[in-house]
Amino acid sequence: LDGIPLNNDNINNQIAGNTAGTSSVGMWGGTDQGDGISSLNPDEIESITVLKGGTAAALYGSRASNGAIIVTTKSGSKNLNNAVGIEVNSNVVAEGLLYSHFKDYQYQYGIGDIDATSANPLIGLKPTDQDGTPNFQTNSYGAPLDGSQVIQYDGVKRPYIAQKNNLKDFYKTGSMITNSVAFSGASDKLAYRLSLSDMYNKGVIPNNNLRRDNVSLNLNGNMAKWFSFVANIKYIAEKGHNRPGVSDSPGNADYSILTLPTSLNVKDLLPAADSNGNERIYSNNIYVDNPYFVTQKNIQYDTKGRIVTSFEPRFNITDWLYAKGTLGFDQYNFRYTKIFPTGTAYPANPQYTRNSARFNESNLGWLVGVNKNFNDFGLNAFVGGNAMSQSTLVDNTTTSANSFNIPFFYDISNVSPAFITRTDGDFEKKINSLFGSADLSYKNYLFLTLTGRNDWFSALTPPVGTKSKVQNHIFYPSFGLSVILSDALRLPAFVNYLKARVSWAKVGGDTGPYQLSNYYSLSGANNGAPLAQIGPSQVPNLGLQPYSSLSDEVGLEGRFLNNRLGLDVAVYNHNTSKDVVSATVTPASGYQSAVFNVGKITNKGVELLVSYKVGNNFTWTPSLNLAYNKSRVVALYGDLTQLIVDNARTQTVQIAQEIGKPYDEVQVQAFQRNGTGEIVNGSTGLPNTAITYKDMGTGVAPWTTGIGNSFHYKRWNLNVLVDGKFGGVIFDGTEALAYRYGLSKNTLPGRLTGLIAPGVGPDGKTPNNVRIAAETYYQNLYNFGETFVHSASFIKLRSLSLDYAFPMKSLSNTPIKGLSLSLVGRNLWTIMKHTPIIDPESTYNNGNAQGLEFASAPATRTIGLNLNVKF
Amino acid sequence: MAHLLKMKIMLRKIITISLLAGVMASCTKNFQTLNVNPTAPATVPLDYLFAQSQLLYAGSAGDPGYFEWRANLYYSMPIVQQMASLGTTYNGDKYVWSNEASGAYFGTSNGEGNYPNSVKNLVNLIYQARLDSVKNVNILSMARITKVMLMSIMTDLYGDIPYFQAGLGYIGGNLTPVYDPQKAIYPDLLNELSQAGAALTTSAYIPATSDFAFSGNITSWKHFANSLMLRLAMRLQKVDPTSAATWAAKAIAGGVMTSNKETYLLNYPGGGTASINPHSYNLGPSDNVARNVVAGAVLQWSNTFINAMKARQDPRIGQVSNVGVTQVGVQVNMGDTIGSHQLGLPNGLDNAPGGTNISQYSVMNPLIFKSTAPDIILTYAEVEFLKAEAEARGYIPGTPAAEYALGQEAALQQMSSFNAAFAFTPAQVTAYQTANPYPTTGLEDGVKAIQTELWLLWADTFNGYEAWASYRRTGYPVLTPVNYPGNATNGTIPRRLQYPSEQKTLDAAGYQAAIGRMGGDLLTTKVWWDGGTN
Repeated sequence: LDGIPLNNDNINNQIAGNTAGTSSVGMWGGTDQGDGISSLNPDEIESITVLKGGTAAALYGSRASNGAIIVTTKSGSKNLNNAVGIEVNSNVVAEGLLYSHFKDYQYQYGIGDIDATSANPLIGLKPTDQDGTPNFQTNSYGAPLDGSQVIQYDGVKRPYIAQKNNLKDFYKTGSMITNSVAFSGASDKLAYRLSLSDMYNKGVIPNNNLRRDNVSLNLNGNMAKWFSFVANIKYIAEKGHNRPGVSDSPGNADYSILTLPTSLNVKDLLPAADSNGNERIYSNNIYVDNPYFVTQKNIQYDTKGRIVTSFEPRFNITDWLYAKGTLGFDQYNFRYTKIFPTGTAYPANPQYTRNSARFNESNLGWLVGVNKNFNDFGLNAFVGGNAMSQSTLVDNTTTSANSFNIPFFYDISNVSPAFITRTDGDFEKKINSLFGSADLSYKNYLFLTLTGRNDWFSALTPPVGTKSKVQNHIFYPSFGLSVILSDALRLPAFVNYLKARVSWAKVGGDTGPYQLSNYYSLSGANNGAPLAQIGPSQVPNLGLQPYSSLSDEVGLEGRFLNNRLGLDVAVYNHNTSKDVVSATVTPASGYQSAVFNVGKITNKGVELLVSYKVGNNFTWTPSLNLAYNKSRVVALYGDLTQLIVDNARTQTVQIAQEIGKPYDEVQVQAFQRNGTGEIVNGSTGLPNTAITYKDMGTGVAPWTTGIGNSFHYKRWNLNVLVDGKFGGVIFDGTEALAYRYGLSKNTLPGRLTGLIAPGVGPDGKTPNNVRIAAETYYQNLYNFGETFVHSASFIKLRSLSLDYAFPMKSLSNTPIKGLSLSLVGRNLWTIMKHTPIIDPESTYNNGNAQGLEFASAPATRTIGLNLNVKF
Repeated sequence: MAHLLKMKIMLRKIITISLLAGVMASCTKNFQTLNVNPTAPATVPLDYLFAQSQLLYAGSAGDPGYFEWRANLYYSMPIVQQMASLGTTYNGDKYVWSNEASGAYFGTSNGEGNYPNSVKNLVNLIYQARLDSVKNVNILSMARITKVMLMSIMTDLYGDIPYFQAGLGYIGGNLTPVYDPQKAIYPDLLNELSQAGAALTTSAYIPATSDFAFSGNITSWKHFANSLMLRLAMRLQKVDPTSAATWAAKAIAGGVMTSNKETYLLNYPGGGTASINPHSYNLGPSDNVARNVVAGAVLQWSNTFINAMKARQDPRIGQVSNVGVTQVGVQVNMGDTIGSHQLGLPNGLDNAPGGTNISQYSVMNPLIFKSTAPDIILTYAEVEFLKAEAEARGYIPGTPAAEYALGQEAALQQMSSFNAAFAFTPAQVTAYQTANPYPTTGLEDGVKAIQTELWLLWADTFNGYEAWASYRRTGYPVLTPVNYPGNATNGTIPRRLQYPSEQKTLDAAGYQAAIGRMGGDLLTTKVWWDGGTN
């Protein structure tokens, strides 16, 4: 961000002191608290440049090893007559569900279950009493919906009919309103820009909102011939209320809505609590919440204040020699409070959680640079150093037990001390660096860049003795060469611009602190005796070393035919070795995971961008963006052949890094099959489980594409973007739930007759002949991840925007200097997908393991209006 | 000129600053101290580790009832028809398989289970204590005995398990510990007890406050080690009677528990998560965060159990059982405890039998799962009953009827650990002994009588692990299996739990080797001491 690294870790990870860099929003659910870049005011951003590969690394360091996003914010500029420029921007966006009802759910059978002791144990029955007999779970394995009066969870009889409007009735139309104003101007010596913005977002889940206010001041000083500076101060205040839960119930209203029985109207779950304040749950499964209790009674709020400042003085010692300093501070305070209120069904007692975190990062750096031309040659070079220091102080308070002495009053002072647990965290690390870079140019068409950087990491194992192979520092060079062929050579006239480039770079990096040795966690006392246990659940690794990644890239960029045809092609290799990866290990080792410098992962890819402009006054510019990335796990630690990096909530699907396979292989609990591939069933008529997991494909799509069409006519602009991803798979955890609860259309066959599972019997030869109830069969399929892994390929109408810029003429009698209006729609239409129920882009995890979904929020579309006025 | 001079001074300054910055950047001297977690100590007194390890009997520090809920309440107790449940969540009631419940005791990558908690910490404690095994001999021995107890439950549940190399992820750098055959594990468990019990001494440091069972009473610890040895010796009776006899005799000769005061139970003062009885955590709420199993009416006493108590005129019936509990806030209030009013729920059902409501069935009395109740793990009564069986089988000399009567008395009086008011008068004890005498009709009837008493005792103390293991060994008490549609055992009583499915990928080689030896990974696969193919 404006030349200063901005920590973009998800805040959840910071609070948990999550040292391995994996997401803490895992299979057991949680809430997403956002990350750094999402807090920026979009109106403040001048440009965003994505630097791929390692070429950004010499200047930006190890955190740029997978590329960097360079965000430049707007700065002040000189106006006509030295006037103050004012820019006002207003944006209103509405968000609604993409689908108003579940297309893949069945609405033929209602709440209920089979009854093993009834006359016909193969067919589902309606509940006969308030407790839901024959079973009081949340299943829709009951009788055909016949409109008869059937008793429900609250003792009220209602018609046994399909309730198709639960989605529509529960979710609201969300909205986001952003207003911003910016003042800018300049004198001879100083340019300034001050911007203020306010954003208010209401989610589609009732009672969920987020407010963000940004203040930003940018100063550009040109104080003397020998001294100039850039200074930035940004303050971001964020207030979230009831951020939605993800993944597992409890605390995830989406889970309840997704699994609501077909014959239960969500509005009949109101009020959410009875007169004593107790949650009205609709089954004996206390882990499935009344969704209204989650949105109305659960209490969740968070506040964040972040200050990012930077000051970069520059001293021009001669006209070709300069020195520059960099002082950057990034600090935020974050506080999150979550209360399971009195009356909550689970946990059985109310609970109070408060997480506070203070994050601090400072970067102190200097560089000395040369910028000189010698006839046809140009030299732009510098050497510099940087000291990065990062600390996160965490203060977490949770309560257990019978928390609140006075019910319904939620403050920590209302909890007996014995029930309060406090944990502190203090995570510190430093990276010291020296770096240098030289850009050589010849006649402005041949460019050579050489860089080198050495990092010393506090979080890695220091060398012991002089001959130690283990190092906590790494040197990484890079090299880049580019030629503007259209200037260097005489090319045919249809070539307007042609540039070829080749680059090679190495980057090193570290990991979170305190992973090298064991420590103990003190866990209070029992009967006066203090308790302690081993702290890490990850095996400490005394030999952690810097990872390194190597990337090389060849590219060609050109414009042809009067600049109508644009072409940008790149072919790259990106290899990571000794990556610091935390992998799941067998619990028999005593640990959940171990951290290794993992062998080697390679990525090869091609990226292509073609565009062509048709017409003159009315222009149409179609463009195609196509990228293919092939990843491969080449080697792992020691003699390991695979690492398990994540596990689905159902515990039937894993994400693995497997030698010889692409990154993020999805592996499932599969059916046992005989030699000819038929499923082998046991004597009970249910499929046997295979003794090994089965590979289903990669969770990361190798193909991505976008097709844009932009139309321009006079003051009108229309942009249409269709995009897609191909070749990846996803575990549809919501579909697994829909099988378990009898909601999926696929669970219809055999409801009235029972069924015989496909495949053969226990002998592996003769066809299976055991007739079982549909409910028994489909619920059992929940145990097989194999059933629910689908292609995650999709094509979407991603966005459509229409802009109009008012003509200056019509504004000539007003102080307005510019006025534009745009209409923007996003996620408007899913043209193709293969995943029942869910959006194929759903995920609850932003970490390394992709390919798992579970009870995700329904997909939404947004439509917004933007007004920009310049004075 | 003045301007130029200024610039020269400036230049000098800048170069000096730059050089300083360069020196700073390459200085990494404080890195090692910076990379030490300031909020967690690198070493702690062994007492702290021992205290925590003792409490990890049923779950983790964060969830003290985690695997107890799944392995004991979901599976073991309903399997031997001490408890019953409608629906299929309490899988043992209907012999259905659930990966999460079946694999919970072993442990999965969510960090819960025996290996990532008790085994990990005990292995470390034993390692740390051995660094000065003279000074730490008592903590070392107590840790070894505690580990034997947990490992024996685990191998009884699963069969072959990682044993010798387990928990050594950090200390030994072993990330895929070998699955050891149960046949090789048992001799080591017995040897460990023998050595650790013998090593306990009053002339070295004794942990007292941190010992929640015996407050550092060395004699009681020795008796506990030998009593556990007797329990494990009898486990071998079916497959290796010679070893069973040898180890039983050795245990008795070494000295076993002599009174209820020596029963191995863990005391809890109540309060925060660390200080509450794990049964309370699962069955409550009493006054803690809990799973609300009893008031939520999801688990009942089995009619097999209630009917047996009624038939035997067991005076404990109203102490362990009651009908119609009420929940007021976070308090479960006791219902009707009159013995004749108790009604057990039949196993294997989806809904309450015709015309009844689930709330009419007997559930656990809140007094035996209150947060301050002890977790009763190995009783003096059990020792007397096992002695009776050893005598009946001729492993040791003695009259089984005498030990049997002592066992009955001890079992009845053990109830007062839950509540002082539960003590019985001598007349009540005699009446029970008279109504249920030791049979004179031969060995088989004797074993049946002993095992029935043990089964009742283990139900009263929530010890489904022992009840199920003993049932598998002796076949008593005689149970009528249920045959629920879609059950995983073809209507037979399960013989073990299945490993967590994750093992298929996390330790594929170990898993394949183990199931290769055992002949499968099913609920019906027999473990070695049960006559399995190992």
